[in-house]
Amino acid sequence: MADRAGTAPLPLDPRAVRLDAVAADVEDAIRQCGRTLAAVGAVDGSYTEAMLERERSISTYVGEGVAIPHGTLVSKDAVRHDAVCVLRFPGGVDWHGERVTVCVGIAARGDGHVRLLSELARILLDPDRAAALRDATEVAAVVALLTPDPDSEGEDASE
Amino acid sequence: MSTIESKDVHKIVVACDAGMGSSVMLASQLRRQLKGSSVAVEHTPVNSIPTDADVILCHVGLAARARATAPGVVLVPFQVFIGDPAVTRLVTTIKNGGTING
Repeated sequence: MADRAGTAPLPLDPRAVRLDAVAADVEDAIRQCGRTLAAVGAVDGSYTEAMLERERSISTYVGEGVAIPHGTLVSKDAVRHDAVCVLRFPGGVDWHGERVTVCVGIAARGDGHVRLLSELARILLDPDRAAALRDATEVAAVVALLTPDPDSEGEDASE
Repeated sequence: MSTIESKDVHKIVVACDAGMGSSVMLASQLRRQLKGSSVAVEHTPVNSIPTDADVILCHVGLAARARATAPGVVLVPFQVFIGDPAVTRLVTTIKNGGTING
């Protein structure tokens, strides 16, 4: 990993969490993720198109009703700082045949998001916590779920 | 088709398009599962797989590009990012010993 400077645990900006989003389809949901990431200053406007392009190549559905839309390699220049957004779609979005109710949109140029994604992987392997993420009604609950456990400090720094 | 013995695996590379999303998640999960072993796990874009990779993991949709980048290296394709049986098999083989085909 080249960019060790960006490996500090990434705090999830509460302004990048939306609990009651509604999307007509995958493209609409991804555009909303792009707008949310832009609103917190993480990306410029061109990033959304890269997210859509990435989604067309391979679905970013990762299981348990969760998708993780993100850009392509070339779009890293459109990223100002590592960030994620969390958009809940309680009504669900048809994601190439899978039902998605949570989008974790990712913008990264370094490794600042690695700990948070690592925590997300743990959540997806734990049906109870995955359900808690899908059913969250408080922004603080989403932030708490995705905040890495201090006991696992350093676990992912051993590359 | 290449093969490698589990004892000869020192580095597993999880490759995806941007090295930003799914590969990061899968790599962190593998690192946790292989904790205590001497196997290093990295995530990289599929176009820049390091030459010292012993085993490459990537989504089936990227397998052709990964093979072009790293010909001759054992490649294990998977379909789902969390809990894919191919990944589970790889972890079991590395822990218990055996041959990895890919």
